[in-house]
Amino acid sequence: MQSLMTTTSLTSRFALAAPAYIDDGSIWHHISDALHQSLYRVLTLLIAVLPGIVAFFVALAIFTLCGMLISWLLRRCLSWIKFDLRLARLSGEGWGPTSPPTEIVARASFWTCVLFGLIIGVSAFDASYATGAALPISLLPYVTHAVGAVFLLIAGILIARFLARSVLISAVNAQLQYARFLSLGVKWLVLVLTAAMVLDHLQVGGKIVELAFGILFGGIVLTLALAVGLGSRDLVSRSLESHVERTGERGPIPHTTSPSSEQIRHF
Amino acid sequence: MTTEESTTASTSTIDQATADLLVVGSAIPPEQFEAVLTNLAEAFPVENVMVTGQDHPAANLPAHLRIISAPQSNNAWMLRPADFVNAYEIGREHQVRAILMLGSGAESLKPQAIRDLADAALSRSIDLAIPHYTLPANAGLINSAILYPLTRALFAARTRLPLTIDLGVSIRMAERLATVGKRFAAANQVDALLWPVNEATVAGFAVDEVEVGTRDVPQPSDVDINTILALVTGSLFADIEAKAAFWQRPRRLSPARIHLAGPARADGTADVPRMVEAFRLANSNLQEIWSLVLPPNSLLALKRISVHDAKVFRMPENLWARIIFDFVTAYRLRTINRGHLLGALIPLYLAWVAGHLNVTASGTSSERHIEAVAAAFEADKPYLVARWRWPDRFNS
Repeated sequence: MQSLMTTTSLTSRFALAAPAYIDDGSIWHHISDALHQSLYRVLTLLIAVLPGIVAFFVALAIFTLCGMLISWLLRRCLSWIKFDLRLARLSGEGWGPTSPPTEIVARASFWTCVLFGLIIGVSAFDASYATGAALPISLLPYVTHAVGAVFLLIAGILIARFLARSVLISAVNAQLQYARFLSLGVKWLVLVLTAAMVLDHLQVGGKIVELAFGILFGGIVLTLALAVGLGSRDLVSRSLESHVERTGERGPIPHTTSPSSEQIRHF
Repeated sequence: MTTEESTTASTSTIDQATADLLVVGSAIPPEQFEAVLTNLAEAFPVENVMVTGQDHPAANLPAHLRIISAPQSNNAWMLRPADFVNAYEIGREHQVRAILMLGSGAESLKPQAIRDLADAALSRSIDLAIPHYTLPANAGLINSAILYPLTRALFAARTRLPLTIDLGVSIRMAERLATVGKRFAAANQVDALLWPVNEATVAGFAVDEVEVGTRDVPQPSDVDINTILALVTGSLFADIEAKAAFWQRPRRLSPARIHLAGPARADGTADVPRMVEAFRLANSNLQEIWSLVLPPNSLLALKRISVHDAKVFRMPENLWARIIFDFVTAYRLRTINRGHLLGALIPLYLAWVAGHLNVTASGTSSERHIEAVAAAFEADKPYLVARWRWPDRFNS
């Protein structure tokens, strides 16, 4: 305690002995120096990355032009040899997709070229980044993850929509009153799963995302289970009864074997 | 040993022989084959007839009726592509003039009916003879609601049952069906449905309908309406898509035939409330999906009829025609997944069935109503052609 008091008194004595003013020129010099260094670092970074960016765009532009040219050539050649007609003869009349085969081939070639351009552009960018690896650039890996995350998101949304429609139509045809609710539940299940996967891919949130996903997913499943379980008690009991009595199916939509619809035959 | 050799030689001689008619009975279950043979013997007392099917003791058969072994079909309810291919191969090998294809349940066909069906192809220069069965009341509803009206409107063919399990075909028609069958087999679609009437019309062959009376029509193993409707209508929609270049041209309808007997009346209205309820539920839940397929006018009309009481519920003929045409167009454009599309059609079909049952219960003949529906399809064919050619025009 005594030593602490001694130290405090010494400090205050030194403070009184120091000059009463601050050297403004020195501070401004430090600030200016820091700013110059920062500007230098950013400019050096840009100069290091700029060729990569330019290379990326040049590669993309060249390959897009090549793709357009190849696509045009293919379209002309395939039309000339009557590719659509020949394919229709070979595979029968049931050509599945809406677009004609020539168009599909031309488009595929164009997008393949664009994809090549992207890959070459990204590798050029990556190479220029590697030369200045000492610089603190953490953007490029993050961009790569972001692209992956966007693909995940799109796939998730498409799957969610497909499953939601499948469930909705099946539930309506099974005459379940809560068809829309069931469909929404499935849709949000898939969307929540997708969101969690996207965030995990972006390395955002860490444990919090996992925890939140677990809670949300479990919550939705529990809600659906309760809703379906409580809502379809009658359906389940009817199904069990009909199974036990072996009196045929008593589904909500009249079938040919339904006791009350012996007169109706759909086929 | 000697006996075996002589039997083999005799069989080979028989196999290489020719005949006027080939009866393909490979789709007939073994337990029905005996009865079918008896009917065939009665139907063809003197003609040279070859029958494909199971081995049968030759002692019980008349001399002019010969059996040749052929691969057995295991699809009980409809002829498969392989059946058409086999029928043509055997027919060509034995240089027959016509082929009669009989399916499961053919023992219920009367000998005269079998004879008439074969005669159409043998003597009357008809390439495709389609039977017209006298079905029980309220039977074959998918056929009445969709298959018959669509076939009549697009292919100008009045065959009341375009998808039948018995056929009388000329050798050139058999060849055409075999070509289609081979295409399906090559695509590994062994259970695909063939549409003989559409094929014959596109080829410009003569098609006729033969009155055959009652018959036990085999039913699919899965009686679930969801499965049957998707299978049958999906197959017809695909065939319509493949033959678009043909049916878009206007054609003259063949003259109407007067059918001797219509189905007996039966009351099926007990199921109407459930069907209408299914339609109402779909109307409140499937708007999002229907709006991708149907134009606003049809959606509004559906909304209006959904509030009608089940006892007076009715699907207007022109609305039904437009709905089916819109679904055909959406099938072609792949507006939504095709499985979803055909699933979304089921409640609408049930609404039509409910309306049809109400109409027939009110005293109108079932055939008269079905003819009115088919006439509405014919009248609205330009709508389908326009939608097919310029689909974007109807999107707004």
